[in-house]
Amino acid sequence: MAAEVKKGIDTTKNPIPFEMAQVPGPEQAKCYMPKVMGAIIKKAKRPLLVVGAELFDDPIMFDKMIEIGKMGIPIAATAHSVKGFVERGYLENVYQIGLHPLTSNLRFSDWMGMDGKGQYDAVIFMGIFYKFANAMFSTLKNFNRDIKRISIDRYYHINANMTFGNMAFTPDDYHAAVDEVIAAMKK
Amino acid sequence: MATKEGSFSVEDMKNVQINIGAVVKEADEWDQEMGPHPKPGVATLRSWDHMIANRYKIMYAPADDTCTLCTYGPCDLTGNKRGACGIDQAGACGKIVLIACLMGTCAHSAHGRHLYHWCMDKFGDMKFDMGDEILVDSPLYQTIMGTKPRSFKDFNEGLYYLEEGVVQLLAATHTGQEGAYIDFESKALHAGMLDLLGMEICDMLQIVAYNMPRGAADAPIIEIGMGTMDQSKGVLIAYGHNLAAGAEAMIYAEENGLWDKVDIGGVCCTAHDLNRIGLGKGEAKVPAGIGMKPKVAGAIGWWRKMVRSGVMDCVMVDEQCVWCDVLADSQKRKIPVIATTDKIMLGLVDRTNDPIDAIVDDLVNFKVPGVAILDPAKAGIVGIKTAIAVKPKRAEAHIQNLITEAQFQEQIKKCTTCNDCAFVCPPHIRISKLIADAVKGDMTTFSNTYEICVGCGRCEQVCPQGINILDLFEFANRQVVKNQKFKMRSGRGPARDTEIRAVGAPIVLGTIPGVIALVGCSNYPNGTKEAYDIAKEFVDRGYIVVTSGCMAMDMSLYTDADGKTIWEQYPGGFDGRNICNTGSCVSNANIGDAAIKVSTIFAHRNHRGNFDDIADYILNKVGACGVAWGAYSQKAAAIATGCNRLGIPVVVQPHSVMYRRSFMGRTDKPEDWMVIDARDGKMQQIEPAPEAMLYIAETKEEAMLEMAKLCFRPSDNSIGRGIKLTHYCDISMKYFGKLPDDWHIFVRDVKDLPLVYKEDMMKTLESKFGWKIDWKAKKILSGPLRPADVSFDPTNLARKIRTKK
Repeated sequence: MAAEVKKGIDTTKNPIPFEMAQVPGPEQAKCYMPKVMGAIIKKAKRPLLVVGAELFDDPIMFDKMIEIGKMGIPIAATAHSVKGFVERGYLENVYQIGLHPLTSNLRFSDWMGMDGKGQYDAVIFMGIFYKFANAMFSTLKNFNRDIKRISIDRYYHINANMTFGNMAFTPDDYHAAVDEVIAAMKK
Repeated sequence: MATKEGSFSVEDMKNVQINIGAVVKEADEWDQEMGPHPKPGVATLRSWDHMIANRYKIMYAPADDTCTLCTYGPCDLTGNKRGACGIDQAGACGKIVLIACLMGTCAHSAHGRHLYHWCMDKFGDMKFDMGDEILVDSPLYQTIMGTKPRSFKDFNEGLYYLEEGVVQLLAATHTGQEGAYIDFESKALHAGMLDLLGMEICDMLQIVAYNMPRGAADAPIIEIGMGTMDQSKGVLIAYGHNLAAGAEAMIYAEENGLWDKVDIGGVCCTAHDLNRIGLGKGEAKVPAGIGMKPKVAGAIGWWRKMVRSGVMDCVMVDEQCVWCDVLADSQKRKIPVIATTDKIMLGLVDRTNDPIDAIVDDLVNFKVPGVAILDPAKAGIVGIKTAIAVKPKRAEAHIQNLITEAQFQEQIKKCTTCNDCAFVCPPHIRISKLIADAVKGDMTTFSNTYEICVGCGRCEQVCPQGINILDLFEFANRQVVKNQKFKMRSGRGPARDTEIRAVGAPIVLGTIPGVIALVGCSNYPNGTKEAYDIAKEFVDRGYIVVTSGCMAMDMSLYTDADGKTIWEQYPGGFDGRNICNTGSCVSNANIGDAAIKVSTIFAHRNHRGNFDDIADYILNKVGACGVAWGAYSQKAAAIATGCNRLGIPVVVQPHSVMYRRSFMGRTDKPEDWMVIDARDGKMQQIEPAPEAMLYIAETKEEAMLEMAKLCFRPSDNSIGRGIKLTHYCDISMKYFGKLPDDWHIFVRDVKDLPLVYKEDMMKTLESKFGWKIDWKAKKILSGPLRPADVSFDPTNLARKIRTKK
């Protein structure tokens, strides 16, 4: 147990698409440990956190996302998830936008982002309906490879560059893993 | 040489052979001038398609990074690489989209072709007459073909046109033919337009042949649900989309006085159409007295739940939307199956030419699990006789439709919580949690997720313990389907011309905030209830809500606090605060028809052979939006694509990413939103309205917000824009807790602002967006991208610029 705490949560197990048949081709995501994910996100120059309506199923994740937002990473609140941020009184760098129009814009190198400061270089998906997130990752994977695709969701996302393995059935471990990502970002 | 269509002169010509294919008679019967594009070919409307694609950027979400269509494959196309044939990922996606649209187009058109032959054989040719209140009687046909069908037989020309179009389009998908994604999409849009035509032909044929209601705003409220079937009788279920065999069964039952022995119910769209047959008025082509005897059992998504309910005694399948394991599911429960069309024969022996009694004997005594009978009349008789005779035999056989309590307990104990089932469940139901709760004696989670389960059965396919999960669901909810009994308004058919006259101006000016069309089927992201929720939200707000097919059925399963279904809460007219059921899947054409009729009846646009002109009018002036919230099929892909070509945006549910392609505008690009002002030919930037042509929403809340936004049109007057903005902002406040970030884009004048938010919005416009406000006069001095102008006449077609005489 002590050793596990020291090493951190192993997020590299169970790399199977959450919808098993979603195996698109030879290029498939790699699973990373939370500390590595946090360091990569921290290194990004124009990261964007993209969150969806599954946050309502696990409301503590709103607080964790706000914690990331407070580190200066803008949040795209897709579906109606912005309501969770309204209820928590945090709208500082939260943008209400659908995942579909957001991904559509992410395809274009000349899109200036929601703040008008330029295209993003990394997107971090969290709390989005699996099949939808998978498809939007596929769009970026095939049509704009300049943006790093990161998932810190509880699912293995095969079309991302970096993802956790499936943690859908181990919520405590998953929460701890996200905490480790946040901690690594703060270092 | 030909000087104009319908006339020619021959002077000083020798050795010339003239072939006369068809004599054009319409010139003296239809005073409308022929438009530029009668019977458009594959490339005729390409410039219109490219206009759509340039504004609404084609977006692909590949479901597969490889191409395996030819023997060079598999080719890895990841990152838009090219395969051996030279096609890139975008092109490969476009090809799949086109093929999917063609599947849908063929399904509807082949349905029409079957009905054409069947009805010609049964009834002979007949006058095409939609009654005194529908004079613009085949809007899509007239717009696309440039001719008016006068008789049933005339539709043959439309079917030939469709069939040639489909062949040409499918040819383009062969390896080595089309390779550019934008042209695949132009072809897909063409296929979508053909699909609209195919659906219209199909619905018009059946309306005329079977004398179905024509624009009946007062179509009766009927019962829906498996619980409506009288289980003391033999229960015959007609399942699919083609009414031919089901109609024959009803006619046989009526002519032979058998309704006291048999009950007939429909599943999926056949249900709508059998019901419509009984409600026709005027000249009777089927025996009087059928009336409301045929029942609507329910939508396709409930099929596997229905078959386990133990209610049905015999199943006749026709075509489309029939699950491929219908025979296995039925055989397990000793329910004889009759396949009635050559599209679905299920591996059964073709008994079309055998004596009726011999076939019935084999079915009733379970000598065969089913038969194929391709003569609808014979199939109908066999269906009735079998349902009646097999009922007692099935009772004697003590068929176990449901598992027992002991079997349930035995099954749930086998679960090892491996969660393989959760990895394949479309709505992500945590089935192991349901089972764990049941082991503890708590069945509520099984009950709460029953309507969320789409009944696909993928969980059973992967369970390593062989647990029959659908059976567990059915046991835990065993009385639900058996007792399901709700109310639905019967299919009314097209909108009447008088209804269009009444709503034309309010729609174009925006004072009726929009037309919302809910179409599609059973693959809801979060259960059937969302169909009701979406419909209720918009009809309450005064939109015209139109629906059809399984969506109409599924929204019937919920009631308000007074126990009323949505159909009992609102009238059935084509008007604001009304909700109408146009009928079956092919009746979706009536929705496109209504949009065309707004332009031709209200705005007096010539629609004859003039598709792009009409689509341009609809895109700029008719605030309509489709939503396919449960769509699963390729037919839905074709319908949505056809609507897109007609200028109607569509919102779909998140599973629809499997369609791979969407059309999304870039609101940050002013140059994409330039239109021509037809008054003087000057270019004018407009607000992004509508901002997308095919939009994927993650949740019903997002869908509703987007639908409200997609009803904005450049032609809205200030009152109309104010009403639309009010609903857009209200929905956002209700479900998002805040105003949308982009509301200001749609403001052109103070009068556009919703009254309830006016003061705050004016302050925001000044402080956040830097607009100049004259507070004393309550006027906007600068800021909007264009002024409100009630006579603004936006168009995307240069030929619409008015020339001074």
